Amino acid sequence: MSTRKPLFGLLGLIVVLVVVFGTLSPAFFDERLVLFPLLRDIAIYTVVGLAQMVVLSIGHMNLAVGRMAAFSAMFMGLSYDRLHLPLYAGLCIGLLAGAAIGAFTGWIIARTGVNSFVVTLAMDFALLGLIPVVYTALTANAAFTVKPDGMRELRQYSLGDVCLGNVCGSPAVPQMMLLAVAPMLALGYLYHGTRPGRELLLTGSNPLAAELSGIPTRRRVVTAHLLSGLLAGLAGFMLAVATGSFRATIGEEFLLPSFLGAILGGTAMAGGVVSVIGTFLGTSLTLVIRRGLELVGIGLEYLNVYLGVILLLALSADRFLQRRGVKS
Amino acid sequence: MRIAPSAACCLILLGLVGCSTRPTESAAVPTAASTATASGPVELREGSKVKVALVPGGAHPYFQPWKEAARQSAADFHLGGVVFNETAEWDQAKQNNLLDSLAAQGYNAFGVFGVSPTDINTTFGDLKSKGFAVASLASCPAGDTNEADFCLSTDVEVAAYKAAKAAIDAMGGKGVLVHLTGNNVDANTQRRIKGVDKAVEETSGAVKLLPVVADVDKDLQTAQKAVADLLAARGKEIGGIVSTAYNPAVAAAAGVKKAGLPIKVVAIDDDPEILRAIREGSAYATIAQNPRGQAYVGSWALALLQSQQCTMRQPGVVIDSGSFLVTKENVDGYDTERRKTSEQIKQRFAAELLSCR
Repeated sequence: MSTRKPLFGLLGLIVVLVVVFGTLSPAFFDERLVLFPLLRDIAIYTVVGLAQMVVLSIGHMNLAVGRMAAFSAMFMGLSYDRLHLPLYAGLCIGLLAGAAIGAFTGWIIARTGVNSFVVTLAMDFALLGLIPVVYTALTANAAFTVKPDGMRELRQYSLGDVCLGNVCGSPAVPQMMLLAVAPMLALGYLYHGTRPGRELLLTGSNPLAAELSGIPTRRRVVTAHLLSGLLAGLAGFMLAVATGSFRATIGEEFLLPSFLGAILGGTAMAGGVVSVIGTFLGTSLTLVIRRGLELVGIGLEYLNVYLGVILLLALSADRFLQRRGVKS
Repeated sequence: MRIAPSAACCLILLGLVGCSTRPTESAAVPTAASTATASGPVELREGSKVKVALVPGGAHPYFQPWKEAARQSAADFHLGGVVFNETAEWDQAKQNNLLDSLAAQGYNAFGVFGVSPTDINTTFGDLKSKGFAVASLASCPAGDTNEADFCLSTDVEVAAYKAAKAAIDAMGGKGVLVHLTGNNVDANTQRRIKGVDKAVEETSGAVKLLPVVADVDKDLQTAQKAVADLLAARGKEIGGIVSTAYNPAVAAAAGVKKAGLPIKVVAIDDDPEILRAIREGSAYATIAQNPRGQAYVGSWALALLQSQQCTMRQPGVVIDSGSFLVTKENVDGYDTERRKTSEQIKQRFAAELLSCR
């Protein structure tokens, strides 16, 4: 149900890359300017990866993951701008909106039997049209720029601001990381410790067998897409807090990283196999490579080329070592 | 075994970032107060400790003059370094990370074209809180507040207004006008739409504006398709096209020429393709901006601020870097006027905007 051995390979790769980039550019270990923003990004994109992972667990995909984040963020912006709600109350409303649009998508798939690729693509187009209309009608600059109390602190504060007596946490770890750790723990428990979680995986590995075993597969499809919408909404919130406003374009960059983090981490596209920690490590790997390349001064012409080549080499080496380990 | 990878991750994370102890007193924020005034030219006394990073939102032909300006300002002002980095890929989060990476490499003054006008003030605020000089170049933040030290930019609403006025004049003050533009949910696009609307409103109904054709600046192919569809559907009734984005401007000039229609095209920016179209007559005019001046004068002012030789009299002030109507008549000589404007902006900084020791 979950992959374990590749995780050590991924972890090893990340450590090696950190050492290499740190040697090439000692600025890589700058807590304030490199590690803090890097870990903040890892937190955001881990949640994005988890949003894709939950639908991959049932053998589906969510091509509207970015637009669901924007839809959810739109409700959060509305809550702050029009209802003047506190930060976390607006977050709850946005998460409900994300969960609702996700559940609705799952319900369409379950009821019609149409492939998730088609339904989520259609949902993406629908939201692509709807969201700008709302923003254009309600805002002057296509964004809700109101900043509720606590938003700045959530963006800037680290565990260094959390102290027990005279000992504080690391200033390199953003408090926003907790927003990624919470769903990681919850999903880890769901898949490893609960019946619905195991039913999700069985639905993914063999829907017919799952159906014949008495698993309510349609309900599980709705559950997976609901969770995906919910997590996409959380990622939208985190990105809005990190950049400064709730805007229509939030989530535009989510689609590829959502697959990348999950798949690199060992989640199977065909369903039935997930890895929460793997999604975190897969996301971390790509972001560490990108940040390292930026720091060693790779220009636009070669940045994505090097990113692709390093990923390819690193993962090929990882799989090669795994196979050798299995044979021996 | 299940928790082993998780535990390993946590250990690595802790090992990497470690713990800290509570600071005994809050760190003092350095300030550079100066009450001195300057009425004459300001010479940068010591620029070798200033490293300027010029960071556009992503790759775009508009920013290519920044490269040359970066080299020129490094040489002219004897700066510690000037880098041009266009790897932000039009993503605000990536641009924020890039700025942090550059800061970690020792760059301490930033000229930035923000990807998201509604978010960029947050980025500027973060950079300022770390003690860096920051300029918003080529675009100002949305709204009334600018958290950067200054904004040196084309007033996009004014430039769009000028372009629409030029198109309306070329149409003889009446007819049907079309506005082609970029990302509809971008705050600057909304300003451009306002500028064109204003020019059309001033005709009291003599000019009819068709619905705005937005989101056609992603690439040239998208723009070409949009222009082809537009000309096929309504080409005969259109009297003028005003494009406030690069790709549709190039596509409109080529499309109108190919269709042989008497449509007056007014473009934005002075890309060689657009200048060629003006010389050939397939485009009536363009509104050239001043990217070189933004980067050159911006780097100079940033160096004065970061070296603490000067402070801004009014932090966040917005300065128009100029926009220039280019027609067949002045297509070969407009750059002289533009360079003169850059020099005037520099003088204005010295005389009015900076307070120097």
